[in-house]
Amino acid sequence: MSKFDLSRRQFLGAFGATAAIAGLAACGNTGSGTTDDSAEGTDTAALVGSISCSGATSFQPLVEKARDAFQDANPDVSVAISGGGSGQGLSQVAEGSVQIGRSDVFAEEKLEADQLEGLVDNQVCIVGMGPIVNADVDVTDITTEQLKGIFLGEITDWADLGGTAGAIQVIQREAGSGTRATFEAAVLGGEVAPDSFRPVAEVDSSGTVVEQVAATSGSISYVAFNYMENDGIKALTVDGVEPTQANVESGDFTIWAYEHMYTREDEDESTAAVTKAFIEFMLSDDFADTVVEEGFIPMADMQVKKDADGNITAA
Amino acid sequence: MASEKNAAAQGRSAELDAHVRRIDSQDKVATGILTVIVGLVMLLVVAIIAYILVRGAGRALTPGFLTNPYNDEVVPGIIYQLWDSFYMLIVTLVISVPISLGAAIFLVEYAPDNWVTSAAKTAIETLSSLPSIVVGMFGSLFFVVTLGWGISILAGACALTMFNIPILVRTIQQALEDVPRSQRDAALAMGLTRWETTINVLLPAAMPAIVTGIVLSAGRVFGEAAALIFTAGSAPARLNFASVNFLSPTNPFNIFRPACSLAVYIWRLTSEPTAGSTEIVWGTATVLLVCVLLFNLLARLLGKLLSRRLTAE
Amino acid sequence: MANLMPKRRLENIGLGITGFCVALVALVVVTLIFMVAQQGLTTFFVDGLNPIDFFFGQNWIPEQERYGALPMIVGSFAVTLLSTLFALPVALGSAIFVVEVAPTFGRRVFQPFIELLVGIPSVVYGVLGLYVINSLIKAIFGDAAPTGAGILSGSIVLAIMILPTITTLSMDALRAVPNQYREGSYALGCTRWQTTWHVVLKSATPSLMTAVILGMTRAFGETLAVQMVIGGVERSMPTGLLDPASTLTAALTAGLSNAVSGSVYYHALWSLGLILLAMSLVFILIIHLIGRKGAKANG
Repeated sequence: MSKFDLSRRQFLGAFGATAAIAGLAACGNTGSGTTDDSAEGTDTAALVGSISCSGATSFQPLVEKARDAFQDANPDVSVAISGGGSGQGLSQVAEGSVQIGRSDVFAEEKLEADQLEGLVDNQVCIVGMGPIVNADVDVTDITTEQLKGIFLGEITDWADLGGTAGAIQVIQREAGSGTRATFEAAVLGGEVAPDSFRPVAEVDSSGTVVEQVAATSGSISYVAFNYMENDGIKALTVDGVEPTQANVESGDFTIWAYEHMYTREDEDESTAAVTKAFIEFMLSDDFADTVVEEGFIPMADMQVKKDADGNITAA
Repeated sequence: MASEKNAAAQGRSAELDAHVRRIDSQDKVATGILTVIVGLVMLLVVAIIAYILVRGAGRALTPGFLTNPYNDEVVPGIIYQLWDSFYMLIVTLVISVPISLGAAIFLVEYAPDNWVTSAAKTAIETLSSLPSIVVGMFGSLFFVVTLGWGISILAGACALTMFNIPILVRTIQQALEDVPRSQRDAALAMGLTRWETTINVLLPAAMPAIVTGIVLSAGRVFGEAAALIFTAGSAPARLNFASVNFLSPTNPFNIFRPACSLAVYIWRLTSEPTAGSTEIVWGTATVLLVCVLLFNLLARLLGKLLSRRLTAE
Repeated sequence: MANLMPKRRLENIGLGITGFCVALVALVVVTLIFMVAQQGLTTFFVDGLNPIDFFFGQNWIPEQERYGALPMIVGSFAVTLLSTLFALPVALGSAIFVVEVAPTFGRRVFQPFIELLVGIPSVVYGVLGLYVINSLIKAIFGDAAPTGAGILSGSIVLAIMILPTITTLSMDALRAVPNQYREGSYALGCTRWQTTWHVVLKSATPSLMTAVILGMTRAFGETLAVQMVIGGVERSMPTGLLDPASTLTAALTAGLSNAVSGSVYYHALWSLGLILLAMSLVFILIIHLIGRKGAKANG
């Protein structure tokens, strides 16, 4: 393996040198160095550099919007965004092959202790999620206990929930999905479904969940708030609480999670300023409207917080 | 006595007649069934292609679909994916054609009859039967991490190369072997070395078949997705065709940037659908299918054209 | 004389360049096998998973650290065998027709036609499966197949995909049967069907088996088309043909993006890849054995 390491280092070295020259040349042109921390607006010192950001796909569209606006404001900056899922994002930022790793779970849940070292958790927004059912289901409210029963395979007929009799078709997210991890942590409380329990589908994404729930009568699944406004499905209230931004902010609605953008403490100086500015931009008041438009909840107004173990406390 | 014999003969001939009738009708029934099967297969081919074209034509022909970026708010298009598909194809061919050419020449002209050759043949055979996802996961570790290229066009092209090499080596080998023995013998008799014979005689003679093979393999590579998801990425890249900074991730020519081909884009949209994405999927599928069919057509035309030119000389 | 040395050098250069190409290909293949084996075996030797639990475990539930690959192994074999079962009669029937009954039609019309199917990318088959076949299955079976996704849909899509492979290879196999065999049979007064059934098919059997195995290789390794239609349920054993399930390839596609490199889950996924690799080697071995047997029978 050492041979590979050597060639990789050599390669990176050569590549880095070229990048540095390009960066220097750009600096020379604009006649300024890196930014100061309060970079806001467009007429402060120009940022230069390119970073990459990979990981969770759930809030990738939001990050892409941020990237577009950020690049428009900083023409010499480029942010390469790729998917890959939370696992990829976390392992890539841990090994330093990207500057930002997106994740919709705490890194503690995916990485080993030694990999966590040097990682910085930037929580950029919040995603709330709740149960959805096929539009033909005549139940409108569900208790957390009932929800738990359904996803543990104990409750199998809508009649048990006071609806018209008919089989409950459970559509799950695939193992390892961040949405699923959040939902199960908030609803199942550490219990696990028996081996014999089989959902009718395990699907890759929230978009597919919506399609499948809309197409399958008697089905139930869960998605983030921004997927709830779709034809053929309806969102349920949980314990009488509506899945809304306000209820998440007040702490009344408990199925939610942070969207994380992990960075490294020891990031290379050539990119650290860009990374920092980009994350600040994601958290800025200017961008908060876009966050809401995309169906996420900005950090600013949260009255509660969650730790890695799922405990909710007042902020 | 005579009548008895006659009766026996008649009985036998009746039996024979019956047998002949039976095998005749058996033959007819079998032919009938086979005809139906072939008819159904042809119908299936027509139905599949027609269905895709009809389903997607509306979207594919919408003005802007072929020329807009994916994030256009009015008509989301596939220009970046089209570019990435063709660019990745070209990078793949630049890598895989010389290697395949070399390997095929070695196997046809030089290969000593020993374990090295049979090991090499086995290696190529193994490559041809590997599931593309295994190539993809190997690429995601070897090209992306070990060699440090990251999720990039180069890593994707190398994965595609692994997928393409066995196909190319086989067609080039076949093309070289199909060159008439007399041509090779004549060249060698004139005192040319094997290398000179190969370069000056065999390759030109085999060129039409080789070019056809390359274009056909290009069609295969063009539609491959599983090997790319974890090597070239699946997120649509944002490109800036005016960019002159070859290290920028938005520069279309940068081989170290992530890319998303048409096929991967289709997969991504079906596994992560959004509002209206079904129509884009069908439109993209139509474009992809048309491209692949064009590659097929081009391969046939080029083959004919080249062989005509060569025989005219 | 002076001219000879450069010639020899030229020859050596040629040998060197082409030999390098072959060596490079071989090296990449060896690296691939080594890496897949190394990562895939880590599951057992470093992470300490019991191979028996892995290969025969009936539950693949990564969040509970349970990695039983049997549901996917069964899924892969089920779709492979079923799709071969669907495709074989049709492929063989078409091959017989276009070789024995209508050779000119076969060469001019049918062959280019069926080659169109080979060219269609697998994601496009997946799209067809997802939007057409799954809906059909759902419409036909109703509540028994709530989403339409399952082993049956996967097998149908795969059957269409391997149909051209088996058909064209069978056509080659039948064409390779020497014409004297047929003429001898006709001279004995046999009908075309008798000739085909008793003479042509029998003497082409080894090549036909190769065609089937190559079709199965393709079905076993096919990834996205299956992943898009099969439903992706990995946690326990499928109980019927309409039951959503998963295959080795589908589980890899879905899992790789969620697994963190270096974790047990990640290594377990590589072990699935190792099974796929081993199976494709087995398929190659079978083809070689058939070839050797055929050569022996003919020699």
